[in-house]
Formats: sequence, C-alpha cells, structure tokens
Amino acid sequence: MLIETKALTAELPALEGMPTAELCELLAGLGFPVDGVDTAHGAPVLEVDITANRGDAQSHRGMARDLAAKLGAGLAPLALRPLAEGEALLPVRLEAGAEAPYYATALLELGAGATPGAVQAFLGALGAGAKGLPAVDASNELLHRYGHPTHAFDADRIRGGLTVRWAREGETLVTLDGVARKLTPRDLLIADEGGPIALAGVMGGDGTKVSAATRRVLLESAFFDARTVRATAHRHGLHTDASHRFGRGADPRMAAVARDLLVQRLEDWAQARLLSAWSAGALPRAAAAVVLPWAMVDRVAGEAVDPMEAAALLQRLGCEVTDGPLGATVLPPSWRSDLGLPEDLAEEVLRLRGYERIPSALPPLESSPQPLAPEYLKRRKLASRLANLGFFQTVTLGFGDPLEDQEGHAMGDRPEARTLRNPLGEDYSLMRGTLLRDLGKVARVNLERGAKEVRLFEIAPVYTAGPEGLRETWTLALVWAGTLGGDDPLTGSRRIGDPEGKSYLLGMLRSLGVGEAELGAFRRWALAGWEGGTKGQAGWQFELPLSALPDAPDRVIPKFVPFSRFPAVERDLSLLVGLDQAYGALEGAMVAALAGTPLQDLRCVDVFRHKSLPQGRQAWLMRLRFQAMDRTLTGEEVDAWVLSSLNAAKCLGADLRG
Amino acid sequence: MDLALLPPEVAQAHGSFPAALAACADLDGLMRLKGAFVGREGSHAARLMELLKAAPKEEKRDLGAAINTLKNVWEEGLKGRQAELEAARKQAAALGNAWDPDLPAPCPPTGALHPLTRLMDRLVDVFRPLGYHVEEGPEAETEAHNFDGLNIPEDHPARGSADTFYFKEQALLLRTHTSPVQVRVLQRIAAVGPDGLSELERAGGIRFLAPGRVYRKDEIDPTHSPMFHQVEGMLVGKGIGMHHLKGTLAYAMKALFGPGAEVRFRPSYFPFVEPGAEMDVRCPLCGGSGCRVCKGSGWVELLGAGLIHPNVLRLAGIDPEVWSGFAFGMGVERTAMMVSQTPDLRLFFENDQRFLKTMGGLD
Repeated sequence: MLIETKALTAELPALEGMPTAELCELLAGLGFPVDGVDTAHGAPVLEVDITANRGDAQSHRGMARDLAAKLGAGLAPLALRPLAEGEALLPVRLEAGAEAPYYATALLELGAGATPGAVQAFLGALGAGAKGLPAVDASNELLHRYGHPTHAFDADRIRGGLTVRWAREGETLVTLDGVARKLTPRDLLIADEGGPIALAGVMGGDGTKVSAATRRVLLESAFFDARTVRATAHRHGLHTDASHRFGRGADPRMAAVARDLLVQRLEDWAQARLLSAWSAGALPRAAAAVVLPWAMVDRVAGEAVDPMEAAALLQRLGCEVTDGPLGATVLPPSWRSDLGLPEDLAEEVLRLRGYERIPSALPPLESSPQPLAPEYLKRRKLASRLANLGFFQTVTLGFGDPLEDQEGHAMGDRPEARTLRNPLGEDYSLMRGTLLRDLGKVARVNLERGAKEVRLFEIAPVYTAGPEGLRETWTLALVWAGTLGGDDPLTGSRRIGDPEGKSYLLGMLRSLGVGEAELGAFRRWALAGWEGGTKGQAGWQFELPLSALPDAPDRVIPKFVPFSRFPAVERDLSLLVGLDQAYGALEGAMVAALAGTPLQDLRCVDVFRHKSLPQGRQAWLMRLRFQAMDRTLTGEEVDAWVLSSLNAAKCLGADLRG
Repeated sequence: MDLALLPPEVAQAHGSFPAALAACADLDGLMRLKGAFVGREGSHAARLMELLKAAPKEEKRDLGAAINTLKNVWEEGLKGRQAELEAARKQAAALGNAWDPDLPAPCPPTGALHPLTRLMDRLVDVFRPLGYHVEEGPEAETEAHNFDGLNIPEDHPARGSADTFYFKEQALLLRTHTSPVQVRVLQRIAAVGPDGLSELERAGGIRFLAPGRVYRKDEIDPTHSPMFHQVEGMLVGKGIGMHHLKGTLAYAMKALFGPGAEVRFRPSYFPFVEPGAEMDVRCPLCGGSGCRVCKGSGWVELLGAGLIHPNVLRLAGIDPEVWSGFAFGMGVERTAMMVSQTPDLRLFFENDQRFLKTMGGLD
C-alpha cells in the first residue's frame, strides 16, 4: 500500500521532521516493512507491505494509529461535523442479516465546485488519479486517508428504494469497469426496484455511476462482512481498493463517520446541499473480550514483562484492559477484528515493545535427537558419491508433456491420473513418470552450447498412478554422453557412446552396489539430429528407483578382514581368442581351474586387435595374481597354476600367443 | 724450450693449440684434437718421439725434458677442456630430463552437487548439532494437510486454482509449501500409543527440518518458478517462546552467513503462527546502503517464522495449554540467489554444466 508521508504526518504530528529512513525502520519494527520510497511527488511516498491480518492499517490514519501507539504520541483530532439523522428520503431495506447489518446514507444536491488541488495531488501521488468529479474523488480520498470504503450513486438514476440482499440466480450487473457480470446467490448486492446496482463492498454499477451530468448523489457508507466481500471479489476476479479493505475487516464504527466526512467534503468542495442523512440497521456488536494470562506474555516474550507495561501498551492500541486474578480481560477496539486470542494480544505487547527487545536463547534439549532417516541418508550419500565421480547434479521442474509421455512409464500406470486440472500449459500438464526426458533435454542443451562431455544425474521423485492411487518414487537418473575427458586434450578423446564407455559406466555403478541387471532403463542415448554430423554426441543413460540401491547407513562399523604379509606373485598370459569369445565364460573357466589356489585376482588388462594377428582372432592379456596368507609362494607352484588356467582357456579355443 | 728446435709444422700446431682447444664444441671434436696432438701414432707427440730417438745422444736428455714439458702442456689443456665439456653435457642432459611442473596435466573429472541441494544439505548440517532430524512428506498432498491443518481459512486466495495446482482425478494438490510436513508430524506424534502416551509425551518434544520441493502456479520468469524449494523447521516442547526462536535463528544465520552476519527480527503474519515474525539479513550486495536487490531498504527478507498457532496444535490433537513451539520456513532459491548474487532464478533449472561447476561443489 502507498503511504504519502505528508498525509501521514498530518494524522500524527509527532512524525514532523522525522527522516524517512528512521520512519521506514520504525514501520518495519511494527511489522510493516517498506519495499520502496518514491520521491517523485514532493513528499516521499512509501510502498508499505501490509500483512493480510491488518485491514485496519490500510489507510494513512490506520498506519498513524499504530505509529502513535508505538511512540506513545497522540493522533491529530478528526475534523468532523457529526450529522443529525434525518428523514429517510428513500427506503433502505437490509435483507442479508449479519453480513450487511448497517447502512448509512445521505442524499445531496450538488452545486458548482471542483476537487481541491491538494486532494488531487494527494490522489495523484498514490497513483489513484483524481477523476475531476468531487463525489468520486472525495470517496477515494476518504478511502486512502481513513480506510473506510464509501460509494456515491447518481440519485436520479435510482428507481425506488434500496435493498441490500443476496443476488438471485440469473441476475446480472454491469460494473463500473464496463464488464457484465453474472451474479450468484452468494453475491451480496445493492438493488433498486429495477435490479442490482452495485456489488456490495466491491464495485458500483455502471447504470448508476456518477458523471459530470449528475445533479443529485446518494451516498453509501455501510459495513459488510469480510468473508462475503472476499468471496465475491474472488469469484468475479474483481480485486478493488474497497474489496481489499472490507475483505480484511473494516471498522464498523467508521461507517457512520465516513458518511459524515463525505457529506462534509461535498458541502465544502462542491457547494452541495444536504437533503437528508439517515441510516438503516445497527452496528454489529463489539467482539468478545479476551482473557490474557500474564504468564503467557512472559512465556512468549522469554522474560518477565511488567503487567503494568503490557496493559499500558494494549491501552495505547485502543484496548480496554481490566486486570483480574487470572490475567487481564481485554476488549479490543472496533478496528482490530484480528485480535481474538490471547496469543494475538501477547504478540501486540511484543510488537509495541519491539522484537529487538526479545532476548535470545537456545531451547534446552529435552529429548534425544533422532537419527537421520535411511532414505534421506541414502539420497544424500549417493548424490555426493556421484558428484565425486565427476557427475553434475541437476534439478528440473518435474512437469511433463503428455505428448512425450507415451512410453517409459511403469506398467499399470495411467498418465491421466497424474494430470493436473489447472496446469500452466499443455507441456506442463502432468507430473512426470520419468526423469530421463528432462535429463536428456539438459544434456542436449549442454552439448548444443559446446560442452564436449555431459555428465549429469538427478535424484527426484517420479510419479506413477496405479489402482492404489498416486505414488511418488524417489528415482536416480543419469546421462553420460559426448567425448571422454571433454575439453581436456591430455585425457585422450574416446567416445562415451562406444561400448567401452558402457563398461566404464557399469564399473562405476558396480562400485555403488548396482549390477546391470538392476538398472531399470539402461540404454544408449543419442542426441537426436546430431548423430550424423557429430559422432561423439552419444552416450548412455539409465534410470532406477533408489530402492534398488543398497542402503547407506549413517554409521558403518567395518569388520576386520585379514590380509597377507607375504609377497604376491603376478603372471601375465597373452591369449589368442576368437573375436566372438565371451569374456565372462573365459574368465569363469580360468578361475574355476584355480579353485583351491591362493588366487587373488584374475582379469584381462589389455585387449589387442590388429591385422597382424591371425584372422578372426584377438589377443587378451590376462593378469593373474597369487598371494598366500601363510607363506611365500615358489615359482614352480605358480607355474603349475598358470599352466592349469591356460589349459582351461585352451578348452575354450584359446591359444597362447607366440 | 726453444721452438726453433722443433719441426716447423709442430711449432705451428703448438702455436694454434689454445685456439683449437677452445674451438672444440663437443667431446668428439676434443678426441680428434687429442689424437692429433698426443695420439700413439701420427700425432705431433709421436713425431717428437721419433725426433728424440734420432737425436744425438748428448742432446737426448734436454730434448727429452723439453718434449715432456710440451706433452704435459697439451695433456693438461686437453684434460681441462674435457672436464668442461663433460660438465656441459651433464647439464644439458639434466635439462633434457627435467619436467616443468607448471605444464598442464590431465585432470580427473570433477562433478558437483546442485547448488540448491548444497544449500539444503548445509542447513541440515547447521541444525543437526541442535538435535534436529529430517522429516519428509509427499508432494501430492491433501487440502487437509496443505491448508486446513495450518489454520488457513477456507476462502484464503492461496487455495484458489490460480495459485495452487490441483490434480484432475484425485482430490489432491501439489503442496504449496513444506508446511504440510508439520501437520503430518504433529498428527503422528499426537497419536496415543498402546501405553496411553503419545510419542510427543514419551519424547518430551520434537525438532526437525523438512526440506523439499514445492509448487505454485507462477509462470517462469527471472524471480518465479512453478517449482521451487523450501526448508521448514519446527520445534515443539514446553514453555517455548519467541526468545527460543530468535536464539535458534540467530545461531543458524550466523552459521550460514558467517559470524559477521547482521540480522533483523521483525513482526509479520502467517495464519499458522502467532506471534509471527520475519527475519531479514543485511543486504549482501550493498551492505545496507540500499540497492536494487534490497529495493533500497538495506535489508533482504530471509525467512518467515513464529510460534506455532494454538489452532494448528489443537487441530493436530495437541493441547496448546501444555505444549508450545516454533516454526520457520525459508525459500531455498531466494536465499541461494541472494548469497551468490545469481541474477536469474531460471539458471538453477537450466543446469548448464558451467553454472553447476562454479555454483555447486562436492560437499
């Protein structure tokens, strides 16, 4: 909300001469942080952030009232000439009960005159803009200065008396903004004999609006229920200054006062002649008193607060305070509909004392801390390990496009059940059933921007909608593509999309405790449309639920595994094998032949394929490592073991490479 | 020795010996020079020895001594030069073997955690020593958990389909904050067990963080995203007041932003707390003098907090006359942007590896 500092000072003379920065700090301390200061209009205009519970502060006088309570200063007296109630020149019927309990009105004949320049400047500074019609400008000025919405009808366009009632099915109203609105029975309205003429507390009607030709005005200064006004404003998407004030709880006692102020302005500005002022209904009863135990103030404040001080602060806010044995009985003022609980009052005491006075303490630890949940730890450790292995964690939004969601989701999943009713757009309309699509897009963008290698992973929930409802499954997805080593020319340039890249990735995953069988969606990833031109733009991707990964407990107690203190013996065997030889079978056969020996490791350490080798053959360099727990091995026994493993290999068609 | 006694070519060679020695650039050249002067055959020295053999007996002694002197001069000269050349060769060899450690070397690949993950992990680490654990809840939530249980009025605008995503078929929404985790945990710890006690009564309190993804119906722009992250914190105990909230947050903010961080605690309003508060931090960009980031105020809003509203406790089945507590919630993107001065929220979701490399990290 915009607050013009000159008008604020007029309501609270104690602010005279206070630097703007100091005023801003003061307001922030009261819970009204200032988001901006505009100095283009002479007196600085503050953009003040007002929380939804403080309808009473949405005016210059309301804000001044809070500042006055803080400073212990007095408000300027209200320049008011109270009117005597006169004859009801047209009937006003209230049919909506407690939602519209009171309606004050007046009928005036307008004379010549214009909105004063100072008021026009005031409205201009607030961005409201004077309309040049005194009845409209005065209503606006009152709203910003005192916070109570009022309305002026062109009295000559009203047929018969006024009724405040609920709309009937099928009724329509063209509001001041020129929009024809279909009303519902939950809309509160003002009607004349011809039908609706205003949406109560929200906006007037076009048919009865005041124009330059208007000669007589009928004023409205009423009280409407906050919830009803909010609902109507929301239903019609019509958020006005008036609906904001009524919607956050207006001060019922201001209704009569605002009418008198409005009449007074029209008399002063436009030589208006009051024909009569009258009202219907009665002001709602004041809110119930609240019992505030002083012990609660002490608990909330974190220190003993002198009840005298607390009572005085509440009184400054306009509360009536009577001290009793259990605490104070507090009757909040008519403008503070938000004060209904003792906690609300405790907050007020703290707020006026200043939050900076609250002491600082750490709460004592009364119960044992709970361990971190295994699922949380697993995710966190997995992310950390993948990052340490050279992969970048991504975060993508999580919405999917049904057109791209045709494949890849789980069995029995119904994408419609993952669909949002009110998405941002068609391509954001369902919750994703896979992470790979988003990850693939990220990979493509990176490659298109010149990255030579993309190493990406994401850990996030994916959605499946089965017969038992919507399920969120924490999932890991990974994409690795491009050229190994990326921009680093010293790492060599091998293409990740080759089978070699796959085995590297599988090796890495085995170190995380996942075998290929457990990898849900493991397949080659290629940048669509790029592969022809740049062969390196391919790689591997997979996705798997985190439940497929082993747990990563918080506390791991390793079990001691004895190791040998005797030397190890290594032997190399260069084998010629067929190009179609399955590695696993060969290694398995060789290891089986060495059962009972102190074999520590046996693996292929080099693959050699060259035209100098016999046709259809390749060379595998097998490295065997023996080590006994209890003695140094002799050359003869190792030779014998190597020979037996060679013979096993020969049974599969391998030869010793000469 | 009288050079005149020598054969003229030997005398001439002797005269040019120092220059020839200096002209030898390597050991091979030196060996050739050595052969020419003191070699076994055909050298100047051999020539002189023949001369000595042929000399009359009475001259032999003097001539011999003279020849020896001459040979010594040559040999000393050659030896000295050889040492010089060998030293030079060693030095050259050493240079050849040396490696400049500043030459670029192959580097193991380095990845990174996402900056948002890092900040959330950091917050968990900051609160862990205070006894907080992590609680989580689903993203697809019920209205009861996301709104009702948090004392959010039935007609609150946030419930509207302009602000909150709803599912088409189920009566579910995408949670708009991490606060429904509060409701879930409060309901869980309020449930009375077979021993007649609730988990809350048995434990004497609870404190936890709830980090996670949340959704609001905002178009993507430099400061908004339909999905973002929050970290929620909650503590329930006995006799909990605003001083506990202030002390806890002051500790956490100093742990997060450094001991010099200046924070401000001021009143605010959220339906699920009473009293309500917000914590601001001194603008990291301008240090308080006022700039675009802090909109001239010198402060940047960091988190919302307050004492748990008695209605929230009551709705979960916890007696607010006995139990009290506080809650706070922080926007992760907002904080990450502010701390790192990242100009555009969308960078976090674009996942350019260059961004991730500089903004992320391994811990």
